[in-house]
Amino acid sequence: MKMIEKIVNPKELRHWDGKIELYWIYTSGKAGDEFFKKLKDEEKFIAAKCKKCGKVYFPPRIYCEKDFGETEFVEISGEGCVRAFTVARLDAYEKPLEKPEIYAVIDMDGTDGCLIHLLGEVEPENVEVGMKVKPVLKPKEQREGKITDILYFKPV
Amino acid sequence: MVAVVGVGYSGFDANTPDLSWKEIMYEAALRAYTDAGINPRRDVDSFVTCAEDIYEGFAIFDEFVPDQLGAVVKPTCTVCADFLYGIATAYMQIRSGLADIVAVEAHSKASDIQTFGNVVKFAMDPIWLRNVGNAHPYYLAALEMFQYMGERCLSEEDVARVVVKNKNNALLNASAPYAANVTLDDVMASPKLFDPMKKMEIAPLADGCVVFVLASEEVAKELTDTPVWVKGVGWWSETYGYDTASFSAMYAYKAAKMAYKMAGITNPVKEVDFAEVDDRFAFKEMQHIEALQLAGKFEVARLMAEGYFDRDGALPVNVSGGNLGVGNLLEATGGQKALEVVLQLRGEAGKRQLSDVKVGVAQAWRYLPANSGAVAVFGV
Repeated sequence: MKMIEKIVNPKELRHWDGKIELYWIYTSGKAGDEFFKKLKDEEKFIAAKCKKCGKVYFPPRIYCEKDFGETEFVEISGEGCVRAFTVARLDAYEKPLEKPEIYAVIDMDGTDGCLIHLLGEVEPENVEVGMKVKPVLKPKEQREGKITDILYFKPV
Repeated sequence: MVAVVGVGYSGFDANTPDLSWKEIMYEAALRAYTDAGINPRRDVDSFVTCAEDIYEGFAIFDEFVPDQLGAVVKPTCTVCADFLYGIATAYMQIRSGLADIVAVEAHSKASDIQTFGNVVKFAMDPIWLRNVGNAHPYYLAALEMFQYMGERCLSEEDVARVVVKNKNNALLNASAPYAANVTLDDVMASPKLFDPMKKMEIAPLADGCVVFVLASEEVAKELTDTPVWVKGVGWWSETYGYDTASFSAMYAYKAAKMAYKMAGITNPVKEVDFAEVDDRFAFKEMQHIEALQLAGKFEVARLMAEGYFDRDGALPVNVSGGNLGVGNLLEATGGQKALEVVLQLRGEAGKRQLSDVKVGVAQAWRYLPANSGAVAVFGV
């Protein structure tokens, strides 16, 4: 069988360090826009309820993924309960985080959905499943209409 | 019927600095065509590659394909998914009469990726999730693991046993760079990087390529006396959103049901002899064993501890060493699993050869942050 003649001396190997700048804007869409505007300006949370089956989506969306029907926006408290959590110790480059971050799946009250976000003002050993939490927002003048306007969720 | 008439692979290694990703493909393809006894320029009717642009570092991957597979000026297409989706695509091309012989390829040159964490982050929803916190996206798997452990009443030891089994299995696989004779204590002592997930429970990245040659029944019988039949294929996507995903591998359950139905399998525990499942996070193996109906919901941990899924157990799982032993092969993950199944069914698995196996299952997940995957059932 004809095979490739291998390079056995690693010093002879070459490579190209490739990097390319790419930029996007990510439009939040109708549902995202509605949510982030309310969050930024009024500190209110909305979800989306299917007009057909009644399932309440969070994060909100303009259509129901089950029956492909339309939804309508409904106001919710923004509070929720911790369903799952983890203490993350590495950053995206696999270097230790200066301060470990607690991520949680938060079942949002009044919805069938959830949000994955950070927990704050609590030590990892004190986090429990079912713990009631509420959002802590950036000061109004610093808000940009992004998910990062929510700094973290803290125990109620 | 559709048969596997040739297999070839390159790797699997922690890195491959001497070959480019195209050369890895060439090497694996040459081996597969030689194994099948065919000339790709003359005999192969269609070529299916499985790749994701972001893993490659350039766009429109299919443009980069034909030459290294012998596919220039021939029907070629890329499926943006795991190797097992490629098997399903090739199966359909052959059964529809479009092709008699199809080559399927998937590879990983993960060692070229300098910022894997950001690559995975790129797959996360940019509006709702990507910019939450600063952690490596492995945290997302840890959240699912936390919930799964709670729902199934699993201890940390239960999950750690998967690592012990697979890394030790890998010791008999010369193509498994992460083989190790680790003990339960070793795994339990591994640092918790994403509590409760330990470092050793995360499959490290690896390089390699898998190429299969598939043929129609008629052609297969001309080419080989030992065809391995593709008995069933299945694939399934749950949903896009983490808010509506099951967090319990429903994608694998549904994909397996589809494949089992096609294969005429009604009782997987009795009819499947062994399985290679996605274990890129240790808990995923348990989830996938359950989803493939190879054990009851609450039985996986007990059976694992009893050695039921060991190499010499009643239903061996990941005899090859799995991803924990071989590495995370990105879209070639299902390829490595299918390869092991074929080698075992052919009786060519060397020292790790299982005795008297007739039906094997390969399963792959589309990895973080996806909730989809594919299954293939092979038999002799």
